[in-house]
Amino acid sequence: MNFVDLLMLGFSEAITPANLAFCLLGALLGTLIGVLPGIGPTATIAVLLPITFFLPPLAGIIMLAGIYYGAQYGGSTTAVLVNLPGEASAVVTTLDGYQMARQGRAGAALAVAALGSFFAGTVATFAIAVAGPMLSGFALSFGPAEYVALMVFGLLAATILASGPVLKAIGMILIGLLLGMVGTDQATGAERLTFGAVELFDGVDFIVIAIGIFGFAEIITNLERSGSEGVQLAPLSRLWPTRDDFRRSWAAVLRGTGLGTLLGLLPGGGATLASFSAYSLEKKVSKHPEKFGTGVVEGVAAPEAANNAAAQSSFIPLLTLGIPSNNMMAMMLSAFMIHGITPGPTVLTNQPEIFWGLVASMWIGNLLLVVINLPMIGLWVKLLTVPYRLLYPAILLFCCIGVYSMNNRVFDVILAAGFGLLGYAFRKARCEPGPLLLGFVLGPLLESNLRRTLLITQGDPSIFVERPISLVMLLATVVLLALMILPSFRRTREEAFQEEEA
Amino acid sequence: MTFAKTTAIAAILTATGAGAALADWPTDRPIEMIVAFAPGGGTDIMLRTLAPFLEAELETQFPVLNRPGASGEIAYTALSQARPDGYTVSSLNTPGFLTMQIDRKLRYDPASICPIARIVEDPGTFIVQAGSEFQSLADLVAYARENPGAVSVGTTGMGTDEHLAMLQLEQAAGVDLTAVPFGGANEAKTALLGGHVSMIGLNVGEYSTSDDNAFRALAQFSQERSVLAPDLPTATEQGFEVLMSSERGLAARCDVPEEIRAKLAAAVDAALANPEFQEKAKQQALPLAYRSGADWQAEMPARLARFTEIFKLIEGGQ
Repeated sequence: MNFVDLLMLGFSEAITPANLAFCLLGALLGTLIGVLPGIGPTATIAVLLPITFFLPPLAGIIMLAGIYYGAQYGGSTTAVLVNLPGEASAVVTTLDGYQMARQGRAGAALAVAALGSFFAGTVATFAIAVAGPMLSGFALSFGPAEYVALMVFGLLAATILASGPVLKAIGMILIGLLLGMVGTDQATGAERLTFGAVELFDGVDFIVIAIGIFGFAEIITNLERSGSEGVQLAPLSRLWPTRDDFRRSWAAVLRGTGLGTLLGLLPGGGATLASFSAYSLEKKVSKHPEKFGTGVVEGVAAPEAANNAAAQSSFIPLLTLGIPSNNMMAMMLSAFMIHGITPGPTVLTNQPEIFWGLVASMWIGNLLLVVINLPMIGLWVKLLTVPYRLLYPAILLFCCIGVYSMNNRVFDVILAAGFGLLGYAFRKARCEPGPLLLGFVLGPLLESNLRRTLLITQGDPSIFVERPISLVMLLATVVLLALMILPSFRRTREEAFQEEEA
Repeated sequence: MTFAKTTAIAAILTATGAGAALADWPTDRPIEMIVAFAPGGGTDIMLRTLAPFLEAELETQFPVLNRPGASGEIAYTALSQARPDGYTVSSLNTPGFLTMQIDRKLRYDPASICPIARIVEDPGTFIVQAGSEFQSLADLVAYARENPGAVSVGTTGMGTDEHLAMLQLEQAAGVDLTAVPFGGANEAKTALLGGHVSMIGLNVGEYSTSDDNAFRALAQFSQERSVLAPDLPTATEQGFEVLMSSERGLAARCDVPEEIRAKLAAAVDAALANPEFQEKAKQQALPLAYRSGADWQAEMPARLARFTEIFKLIEGGQ
């Protein structure tokens, strides 16, 4: 059977009324948990897993997959409307999305996010269909040495995330690195920065920091600014993006899709890393980088496209190699196993209807999500007109429920409140939290991979320049560093000269 | 009211109270099942699959509550603080439950936790790429003797099953291997497929769910061959004394009345014998191995002593 026949087989499986209904159910559920901060797709799927016993294999898997990519759509909604990332991968969406909402352009931001995600989802789905096995080879060529090079590059690029002074951004990255060190050291088992608290044994959870620094701090700041009245938003100008928005977004969506598809393949980071990187890239190639963070549409389009593309392409290692690239995919693996299906090359040849049915359903699911989400934008945006004395307590309540439900403990809620105060202090000091979060995500990856590399080579660092992918990324880091230093160097010199002349 | 009278009434009240709790158990309240790992892990899925069968056996409810963290210590601490009325049980995993007694200052008393029943015994194994030159442990040991430190072994961290198995092999064969910690079994598998490490440690349950064309197992580390891998020789059969299994079961506080613990154990035994459960266990590659709480507990001191010996190797050499 050739490619078109297989895809037709997939569509004929996915389009049966039952499978279509489960796809819709999954997408709706996913959107809902994506909107609720802290309640993530992994926990939801764990709870629903036993139910899939009673479903036909394909229907169960289609539903669970729907929850996963539905959550990527839903996560951006609260990020744009109330500056609260519903999912880790939506953190960077808050940077420009929320500013757009404050300017009365929430509808445009949500529409661009939905359409960008749909485009990215479509491309990534076809990437799975056409080049799945080839792309999984790329994922395997990424060893510890390549990770080290990627993380070094990523940390340097993190300074681009901030729109303020570079020195403050570096400071925030360092605080992020420090927070990432909390917990048990993987290689020696020693406790670091836990202060004897057993709850800190496994480190601090990303969601705790994100909800504290973004959600809680935002609420405190707004109360301070305007008391119980809340923030005055500019009146809604229009729901739909302007022609200019579309013109400026399409290239950003394309770049975000490409980056997201590749990064989604890698174990660990996936969608979160993809959205961070896409934003940094967009800011770097932009003609007006200084405007990022003030509500530019590219700053929403790129990360949203990237996180959705990554969500789809993270299925590739699972479906072609049988290896899940993150916790979420490990849950999907269990869903397959419950039905006695072992994902891997043998499924592609022996049960093509499962593989191609899932691929086709992903595209259908993405289409359904756009159809669900576009008319809902009007409804979501109305949320902004809810009085703050009602909206803020509700947000706080959902944040607390979400944080508590991760590990079922109050400790995490108190910790998040602490990070809320810290986030407030950062705002007062005009330090942006984006680089901190990236430092927090990348730091532990850099450390553990550096140690792995040197253990494997028995202490020989030449591996970093001997392996081509690693070498290329390290060279790119050097170039980026030079670009960052040179113009500012020139500018300070010019300023110094002007002072002398004056 | 005299003092004697008060004490008498108090004694009667206590007696009837305790009697009522015992008589009503387990139907007047749901029995909380604490799982020491995040939703979706092997232990979580095992207990979520088992819960409906226990509910049918005891005609009560078994809500699952995940208390992940510190490789189980958070859940064990919660269990030791629960009331000893038989309405709280928790997952119990070895070697974690035993090794944390060696290298940590615990926030609970391990002697206060008694196993109810062992459900699964999953032996450890070493996996190489399918195209690897190593066909057996002997091949690997011969190569490691020629090239000390050159064989890199992917583990999931210091003091984990895989790491302890590796240390035993080093000692049994007199070779020097290099442990490389990964964030989890799947990260380690990816690194092995990409050729970044020579070998990884896994449980047989995890290995049997992988694609056979990609990996080859060298040995399993149980006394007898696991039901999941009847064709794979044990390390002992190959002449190396390496014993390492991951056991998963249920536990309660030791001061829960003996009668209640016995009933719980009987319910687990009956659920495991149910063909419907066995079918589901087979789909999830669960190597079922029922053992009563008392028998399981009797084995623990010897194993703890053995792990203590192995841990000394870490401090000495690594």
